[in-house]
Amino acid sequence: MASSNPFPLSKEELLKVYKTMRSIREFEERVHLEFAKGGIPGFVHLYAGEEASAAGIMYHLRPDDRIASTHRGHGHCIAKGVDIRGMMAEIYGKSSGVCAGKGGSMHIADLDAGMMGANGILGAGAPLVCGAALAAKFHKNEGVAISFVGDGASNQGMMLESLNLATVWNLPAIFVVENNGYAESTSAEWAVSCDSYVDRASGFGMPGISVDGFDFFAVFEAAGEAISRARSGGGPSLMEVKTGRFFGHFEGDAQTYRGENEVENLREHKDCIKIYSKKILDAGVVEKSEFDAIDAEVNALIDDAVEKAVAAPEPAGSELYTDVYVNY
Amino acid sequence: MDITVGIIANPVSARDIRRLLTNASSLQITDRANIVLRLLASLGSMGVNKVLMMPDNGGICGHVQRGVKRENNYGDTSWPALKFLDMPVTSSVQDTVNAVRMMVEENVSAIIVLGGDGTHRAVISECQTIPIAGLSTGTNNAFPDTREPTVTGLATGLYVTGKISTENACVANKILEIKINDEHNVHVALVDVVITTDRYVGARALWRTETFTELYVTFGEAHSVGMSSIAGLVNPVDRLDPYGLRVELGSEQESIQTLMTPIAPGLMKRIGIKHVEKLLPEKTCLPQTTAGSIALDGEREIEFSEQDRVEITLKTDAFYTIDVARIMLDAAKNQLLLLTKNQ
Repeated sequence: MASSNPFPLSKEELLKVYKTMRSIREFEERVHLEFAKGGIPGFVHLYAGEEASAAGIMYHLRPDDRIASTHRGHGHCIAKGVDIRGMMAEIYGKSSGVCAGKGGSMHIADLDAGMMGANGILGAGAPLVCGAALAAKFHKNEGVAISFVGDGASNQGMMLESLNLATVWNLPAIFVVENNGYAESTSAEWAVSCDSYVDRASGFGMPGISVDGFDFFAVFEAAGEAISRARSGGGPSLMEVKTGRFFGHFEGDAQTYRGENEVENLREHKDCIKIYSKKILDAGVVEKSEFDAIDAEVNALIDDAVEKAVAAPEPAGSELYTDVYVNY
Repeated sequence: MDITVGIIANPVSARDIRRLLTNASSLQITDRANIVLRLLASLGSMGVNKVLMMPDNGGICGHVQRGVKRENNYGDTSWPALKFLDMPVTSSVQDTVNAVRMMVEENVSAIIVLGGDGTHRAVISECQTIPIAGLSTGTNNAFPDTREPTVTGLATGLYVTGKISTENACVANKILEIKINDEHNVHVALVDVVITTDRYVGARALWRTETFTELYVTFGEAHSVGMSSIAGLVNPVDRLDPYGLRVELGSEQESIQTLMTPIAPGLMKRIGIKHVEKLLPEKTCLPQTTAGSIALDGEREIEFSEQDRVEITLKTDAFYTIDVARIMLDAAKNQLLLLTKNQ
């Protein structure tokens, strides 16, 4: 056992990060299985493989900081503190869900947790965070707002307009491009005309950086600097997180566009949780039994979440017209 | 007979956190392509008739192809034939390593490198005795020149076409060799090695001075930026000096002096200096820090623990570079670019 902790987080904090990433992974792996059984309505887009991005960024956020997510939003929700049982029930379309079962996977929102919503409209989170960031700026509360998009949505006009607006108004906004290499089935190498997101940010007058999304500490360090800069009035920035997804674009995607053994290689060599836990175990800061205990706790939580979601009632027909419009 | 030059252009240099921390520059992909086009023009003017280039998915090759086509449409026939190496693109440093290996097999006479210190480090791992001409498109860039590429192309062209001899065109360079445990785990640095107490490479760049414990340099110029500037301001060492420098770093309280140094573009920091000594070739040093990470040329690359044995050794005559300034001076003295002279 090493005598000192060489990481930028205490042992308790390191375990908390592990729990966040493990919760996302287990949640997604379980949704993958349950969806195949036919019990989940609608579409689901799974985040497994990209956990270091959500955990590394959200670690720096306060509960009142706002995020706007994507169609692939489960990981962002969990890392931001949305109730896991409520999320699972929402995905099942049950009345105990965080949106009373009327949103489903692509519309999970929890304003109390600062989660402005997953979003089925690609790129639509970017202008929303400009509003949230403007509010934080007016309130002078050092709040920040973070928009997540994928490499596909990064090309949407709303996204580009938001980059412009954020710079013009010097907003405490951070635009995270989770580049998992594919816009649905179209390679980013083909579909993103500006060859570098750093170049794109530079074109809008804001700093852009690119980080290794398979390394929690790389995301954590970079996000910490970007968020701290935004809180202190330094303005917006763009962060490309280079990552990879373990599942298809949506559940049921045959993934014929992916290379031979691509996913197997990702799981074997680029699993951000494996990389993270090995690093910490090797340094002697945490015992394997402590990770095992978290695994057991997370598994039990997800089991319970599925059980409760399955057992919960669907929204009553009388609720059809409620919650259509919401006052913030 | 073909006179062939290789070009390595890294599309992902200058993309890290320093753009956020210190407003470091990020050369756009299209500008990197423009550099290649200017190189083609000047290499062609000196008689180079073939260029081999590393393919990439970052956009440089696409823009270069567009530029070459445009030039052909204009009817310009002086440019060398451009061929992209037939190799898979992994969008990692392995592309550079593979491309240089193929260039060596194809007997290129010289390799021009667009990148930062890290790109150059990957090139010299495979280039053997083929000289390289470096152009800075990275962040710190203590090693490659910041120079108009046209002139680098002219100088390289003068050398590879035999107008300037090897002994007048090329210089030998030092490296630092870092061995972790055994000869199967060996790394190199061109300019500097920094030992830090961080046990994770994280965002890779160096900016938290409180984690720095030791600095090793092949050379340190007072006018440079980056970690080697510490050596340059304490005890300058020239690229051609037959030794390097080792500096122990620490807090101001435990140091014999405190310096203000530009450890990255836009980042001036107070650095405590505890001890300075010459680093002699082939003398192996063992870092005093027993666990942490090792930064090569300004970026954390290797994590090590108490169980690892780290050895750092200065090596001379490790690889060759094209001395652009000296070649152009020789060209002027010997009127190599003089076409006509009116009496």
